[in-house]
Amino acid sequence: MAATKAPVKAPVKEPAPLEAPADQPIPAQPAPRPKDAPRTMRELREARHGKRAPRSKAAENVLRQGLRLERVPDPSVLVLFGATGDLAHRKVIPAMYHLWRTNLLPHEFVLVAVGRRDYDDAAFRDEVHASLEQFSRILPLDEAAWRSFSKRIQYYRCDFSDPVGFDRMATRLDEIDEEEGTRGNRLLYLATQPSQFAEIVAQVGRVGLDHERHDGGWRRVVIEKPFGHDLDSAKRLNREVGKVFRESQVYRIDHYLGKETVRNLLVFRFGNGIFEPLWNRRYVDHVQITVAESIGIENRGAFYEETGAVRDVLQNHLLQLVSLVAMEPPATFEANALRDEKVKVLRAIGTHPEGRAHEVVRGQYGPGWVAATQVPGYRQEADVDPQSETETYVAAKLTIDDWRWSGVPFYVRTGKRLPKRSTEIAIQFRSVPHHLFRDTSADPDANLLAMRIQPDEGIMLRFGAKVPGLGLDVRSVTMDFTYGSAFNVDSPDAYETLILDALQGDASLFTRADEVEEAWGIVDPFIDAWAAAGPPDFPNYDAGTWGPEAADEMLAREGHKWRRI
Amino acid sequence: MATDLIALNEPVLRWSARARNIPDIEKELSRIWAKQDLTTEIEGAPGRHVAARTSVMNLVVIARRPEIAERGAATIQALTGRHPSRTIVVQSADPDGPSWIDARIEAHCILPREDAPETCAETIHLIAGGEAGRHLSAIVTPLIIHDLPVTVWWPGEPPFASRAALDLFADADRLVVDASTWNGDGLARLKELSSMADETGIAVSDFAQVRQSRWREAIASIFDDPDYLPYLRSLRRIAVTYGTRDETGAPGSTNVVKAVYHVAWLASRLGLHVKTPLAVAPTPPSKAKGPTGRAKAPMSKGLVATLSDGRSEVAAVLRPQASDYSAGTTLRVELLCERRGSELRADVTAEAESVHVRLFQDGVDCLERHFLAARRGDVDLLAEAIESGGHDPVSVGTLDMAAQLVG
Repeated sequence: MAATKAPVKAPVKEPAPLEAPADQPIPAQPAPRPKDAPRTMRELREARHGKRAPRSKAAENVLRQGLRLERVPDPSVLVLFGATGDLAHRKVIPAMYHLWRTNLLPHEFVLVAVGRRDYDDAAFRDEVHASLEQFSRILPLDEAAWRSFSKRIQYYRCDFSDPVGFDRMATRLDEIDEEEGTRGNRLLYLATQPSQFAEIVAQVGRVGLDHERHDGGWRRVVIEKPFGHDLDSAKRLNREVGKVFRESQVYRIDHYLGKETVRNLLVFRFGNGIFEPLWNRRYVDHVQITVAESIGIENRGAFYEETGAVRDVLQNHLLQLVSLVAMEPPATFEANALRDEKVKVLRAIGTHPEGRAHEVVRGQYGPGWVAATQVPGYRQEADVDPQSETETYVAAKLTIDDWRWSGVPFYVRTGKRLPKRSTEIAIQFRSVPHHLFRDTSADPDANLLAMRIQPDEGIMLRFGAKVPGLGLDVRSVTMDFTYGSAFNVDSPDAYETLILDALQGDASLFTRADEVEEAWGIVDPFIDAWAAAGPPDFPNYDAGTWGPEAADEMLAREGHKWRRI
Repeated sequence: MATDLIALNEPVLRWSARARNIPDIEKELSRIWAKQDLTTEIEGAPGRHVAARTSVMNLVVIARRPEIAERGAATIQALTGRHPSRTIVVQSADPDGPSWIDARIEAHCILPREDAPETCAETIHLIAGGEAGRHLSAIVTPLIIHDLPVTVWWPGEPPFASRAALDLFADADRLVVDASTWNGDGLARLKELSSMADETGIAVSDFAQVRQSRWREAIASIFDDPDYLPYLRSLRRIAVTYGTRDETGAPGSTNVVKAVYHVAWLASRLGLHVKTPLAVAPTPPSKAKGPTGRAKAPMSKGLVATLSDGRSEVAAVLRPQASDYSAGTTLRVELLCERRGSELRADVTAEAESVHVRLFQDGVDCLERHFLAARRGDVDLLAEAIESGGHDPVSVGTLDMAAQLVG
């Protein structure tokens, strides 16, 4: 994965030995080897069994060694379904503009924006320009870069239920390949309503846009979250997608995995020798993962009514963070090796039978004050049922029943209208086995390692230190690494990272079908249990507070408390 | 001491003190971070932003002249947020008088974000006179922060073979130079740099190489295309045209390090070896007449070398061209590849904000690309130079090949 990711530089290979072209005279010694001749036992065996040998080094662009990208994405067309929607304008297109601006996209690149609105290319480009002026992470816009990028954008009007529209789209994409040299490589990006995923995939399959060509034209599909509404619907969607695409062609996006600090979590764990030996039940008392949002539902009442905190955050972002914290080191840093280990964690998470209902707490915010502003309760928001039972907060105690984590609770929580926006992973280490400094004014706290994901990305380690003076007072102090102060550089947005990865065919930071299903398998029992229970006592926390008291009590029962963030 | 409100990412001087010997400098450095009032004020209320000291490296700047010291300090201040360092700017004065040291110790802080603590880093401006100025290592070593990497930035002409320099490099992890500013053609010193790097094992970052990344990206992009990739292994000629202010472009009159690096990069990546090193190309007499009616001195044909890929020879040509750009600036890189009777010619040129690539296959214009890539200033160059951890094999290979080309 890291080998192709900007700006990380991968180890540089030595130049490949030169291959003798066929038209050169053959020297007597040594005998020339055919260009793709097998070299190793594995290559010999694979050649015997008809498998293709790895690409020879002569076929690599050795001039790329040491540059920002070891390999640039192939010439390609990105077909963006839902191009007029909010996600496309806020995230996907700005990410592509930045990739283009920094020369990280191939020159033979075309963005085909697919939407139902009646635009032409010029009108759509004007709309994109206006969005970029609002949502680009670097302003003012680089107008020269915009001018060249805008020429790569084509708008294609299509109703997703119209088969003729897809027929014409397939023809148009073939024409673009001819006109622009995009070589049949296509990344289909579904940024539409989730209810349209299956329909689009089926149409795409019907017109053959999924067929990879023998001469190298690849086809991939990026699917935005939420992937399904529950385990059954996720399985159904996986089946529908699987009818058309092979799993290796499917890139399910969870933008949290593209965040710098989340990627750094893997480096932190597996690139440092001193933490991994402590990363187990022997030294870790418990783990807390918080995804707190200070905003409400932001005019998305209808969407949120059907979603809630469990489906919106716990099933995907939170469980992804849990699996990254708890996974075993993968044998290689390759997509499937990484995802195999994450799936093992999800499989080891104990589900919550009815007897453990107290280990999950749900909440809904009432009116209150956030950041010195009075805000309405959830039930007073637009497009929300005044008697809504949708949870805007969930906290759960998860257990991972494996050798490393047995007996270590993972407390996770997420909520809307909490006092501040913060995402954090905290590893609470056990206290020392014997307290030598009991006579001091306060016992030092146990060590804590906190990884802040947003805002203020960084890592903090808390430890005890002697207070200077004649006595022997011990106080907790912190060592704090803040990305912003150690590397005050322009980090790419998560979508830039992920789109570039998808164009390069690197699926490491995307979720696999079995991961998605395992995650639904963890949260479905919560939702089922709530559906079976009586109506909740909502609202049960004021906007601007840290959630319902029951969430505090859940930890207090085990002698723990939520970290003050 | 200033306690003003500060603007985002604008370095502000928060501490300044003087010292005249190393122990006093160390004492002042300790005092900076022990001071309770090293905080900002927000609307008269102190202490909202507690200054945090951050250091990711030691940066030693050797400045032989005051103006170089000032320029270096300004560059490093601009990097406070990106690479907070303990910076030691060492300047020598009057080597023949008695030994003395005069140091100014400063802490500069920036506010990375409104809600974040300030980040501060120290700078020690040190002038050493007499014998003390000749023992750089003895001045610098006690002042570096333990266990953090040490980068020496030596603008100008470092005396690579001198005892003082070698002692300093022995304690350093990385040396940053700009070979394109060296006197003459810069080639003899380039060879010294390569030998010194081999002997001491120090990692070298040369601005002259770092500046070429936009050229390299553009040239590499030609061969990203699978149709043109096979030609890469059939390179037959590399021609680099560089600007000169000398109307004859006489060899030795213009620094040609950048031009040599272009050839060296391509040769090292392609595994070529030097068959004959750079030599002056024969220049035919000019037929043009000067204002006095006498034959005008002809423009030099530059330098030529021959490389080989083991089967075929690859010609390397460095050609001067009168230009208003700084002497030694690369004006054009041309590549000629021949494969199975087919010819691919690439013509790469650059301007301040962009690089252009034109490609001709068998004489037919087949590709034109325009890369937006601005020339970079010292701040970006220094940042990139110090960001590259360890020995960058591409840079090492290029420097080694450049030394072989020099012969």
